[in-house]
Amino acid sequence: MTTTPTTHPAPPITRVRVRDLPIEQQRAIRARRLRRAGTYAVAIAIAVWILLPIWLIGTLAFSTPADVRSYPKQIAPIPFSTDTMEFFLNAQGVLPATRNSIVVALLTLALSTAIAAPAGYAIARYFFRGRDAFRLSILAVRAFPIVILAVPLAETFRRLGMFDEVYSVALMHTALTLPTTILVVSSVFASVPRELEEAAKVFGCSAFQAFLRVALPLALPGVAASAIFTFVMSWNEVFASVVLTLENRTLPALILYNLDKSGDPFKFAGGFFMLVPSLIFIFFVRRYLFNMWGQITK
Amino acid sequence: MKFRNMNWAPYLLLLPSFIYLMLFFAWPMVQALQLAFRRDSQILPLRAEPAVEDAAITGELERGTTVELLDVMVVETQRAGGLLSDRVFWLEVAGIDPEGERVSGWALRGDVFVADASRSSRGTVRSGVARLRAGPALDAEVIGELPQDTEVALLEWDRSGQRVAAGGLLQKPLTWLRVSAETEDGEVVEGWLERSSLSIQDTEISSTGRVQSGRGSKEWTLDYVKRMVRDARFDDAVITSILLVVLILPVQFVLAIIMALVLQSQLRFNSLFLYLYAIPLGISDLAAGLVWYTIFTQTGYLNSFLQSLGLIDRPFIFISSAHKEWIIIAIVLAEIWRATSLVMVIVVSGLQAIPRDYLEAGEVFGASLWQRLRHIILPLLKPSLQVALILRTILAFQVFAVVVAISGGDVLTVLANEAYRWYDIGSYNNKNVAAAYSGFIMLLSLGVAVLYLRTIRTQEEKEAAG
Repeated sequence: MTTTPTTHPAPPITRVRVRDLPIEQQRAIRARRLRRAGTYAVAIAIAVWILLPIWLIGTLAFSTPADVRSYPKQIAPIPFSTDTMEFFLNAQGVLPATRNSIVVALLTLALSTAIAAPAGYAIARYFFRGRDAFRLSILAVRAFPIVILAVPLAETFRRLGMFDEVYSVALMHTALTLPTTILVVSSVFASVPRELEEAAKVFGCSAFQAFLRVALPLALPGVAASAIFTFVMSWNEVFASVVLTLENRTLPALILYNLDKSGDPFKFAGGFFMLVPSLIFIFFVRRYLFNMWGQITK
Repeated sequence: MKFRNMNWAPYLLLLPSFIYLMLFFAWPMVQALQLAFRRDSQILPLRAEPAVEDAAITGELERGTTVELLDVMVVETQRAGGLLSDRVFWLEVAGIDPEGERVSGWALRGDVFVADASRSSRGTVRSGVARLRAGPALDAEVIGELPQDTEVALLEWDRSGQRVAAGGLLQKPLTWLRVSAETEDGEVVEGWLERSSLSIQDTEISSTGRVQSGRGSKEWTLDYVKRMVRDARFDDAVITSILLVVLILPVQFVLAIIMALVLQSQLRFNSLFLYLYAIPLGISDLAAGLVWYTIFTQTGYLNSFLQSLGLIDRPFIFISSAHKEWIIIAIVLAEIWRATSLVMVIVVSGLQAIPRDYLEAGEVFGASLWQRLRHIILPLLKPSLQVALILRTILAFQVFAVVVAISGGDVLTVLANEAYRWYDIGSYNNKNVAAAYSGFIMLLSLGVAVLYLRTIRTQEEKEAAG
């Protein structure tokens, strides 16, 4: 990372050494290099600030149970051991809860994408009366503390006999993720040139065929990114899950509920286990992040 | 738009989302208000004396309230010409009424559920001669007679509720008991007796119970809201929630702007930096809380670090009721660590929307970074920052799992944690107060949004005027 000077583009026509230049230019170039180095230092410092805590909890998750309990704590998992992680995974309820979490997240992903995709497409492609009002209300709903609605919803679910069911949690999570998904999908479709679809229509496709054969394949990566993000949001959600379930806990709900009854190894391994999907999924969706949030300010 | 040419397709495409949000957004909101402001419960009046008609009402308890049993009284009323008597149990109970005050008074046993701690196993023949029968029915064969005051051991209860029609006068389910007793000549007999012919020692009942019925009532009420506001932890929750917003947001926004500027300056490995900076977007508040728990717990990394530097000689307990400030610091750090990425992404989107010419113009004229920031970047970023500010403030009022993961949620509390505690079956189990908390958080969020938008508008007006 200290190779800063070479990253700076050299003057375009002939290579000139800095020290051969007039003194003012030398100063300016040195100042720019210094600033550049400063920017790298800041960039790296922020990266360390984000990575260090993850490294530390990862260290504990993969240390031997004895090392996990030791003090002072070690800063690297040596000797490496999966015992703590296995202890967590074999703890009562963890595997069923993980399965529940995955089922909930997949149901949410499917439901949310299926409902949001048409709406997103409509907002991106059509001009119609009430479009702005709808967009605005979606933005408002997005900012609204929806999770809090789990409390009244739990009462309704109880009355209808839907309480403590995996699909009920998925219904709530869909409500939670729907506004975001609509906005993201609409921005994805908006980035697919309208002309392509019109060209397809000129060549004899119906509106639906044009959508299916042209717009959808082009939008698919973006829609997939949004679906992944929906999955992560559902996988992470705690409050609604812990309110809406009792026996059929999702993983975050189970961990939260057992916090005061469980020891440190459970917490460390559980915390790390929950953040792993983020490390993987964010990597795949990183190009679409600004698609997801750029919309919101317009 | 001409109505003739109206295209229905977009409306059809929007319909599913619309219906879904109505069902799972608008409807629960109405429900929340109903739960918080409408008493839809059964209220049991408590009497000053163990009598139904003429005793004054001393208080009212809601269905489901846990009560403490103070006294038991049995009132016998003669029926059917003195042949049979009804034994009515009155319980003196005390409990907390909807207003949060402790009330006590008499209630019928049927209205209060008390578990029989242990059922008495002995009884005595009450009066006259009890006919012992071969089975639990009035027409069963009589296999013996027991004189008054004979002690019997109770073996089995049969509540199959056989009705007897004594000339149609009585229509009453009977309880039959299988008993064994020693007759006067020392012989042990076994057979069935009707319960009313026995005087059974009162079964011991547990000292707590629960109100299980009462008269139905539906009315608008502020009781739940009052109860929320009067709750000892309410002030704590409000203060901590607001304190967290005040402490977190400024640092978060400065950091997010720095991150965004770093990403905009086209470093090498830019996409790697973007990935690293975006990781926290996918980390749950619970996981983030646990991550920072590893640092701040007693044998955690912070203590390990300080000790290796020789600054302390034994672990300092950061997370304790004596050091609430450290809990706050841990929560603030965890939230800044987790949620700054969101602000960063919004700021980067905003930066990308600023025409490059503006930024380059600043550079050409030799403006320092601070000058460019102050006079070009920040003013143009205002709409983005505004949205991020509203979003983050509202999200900060929902902080929940971070607090629980770091401090357990008892020493320090926030609004969402209180909503959960009131809701939790293992805790207060009061959905109405929980709904009141939900409503309060909604209202607060709405207030914040309106406040921001107004402040920004008046500022713009001022600028326009000046």
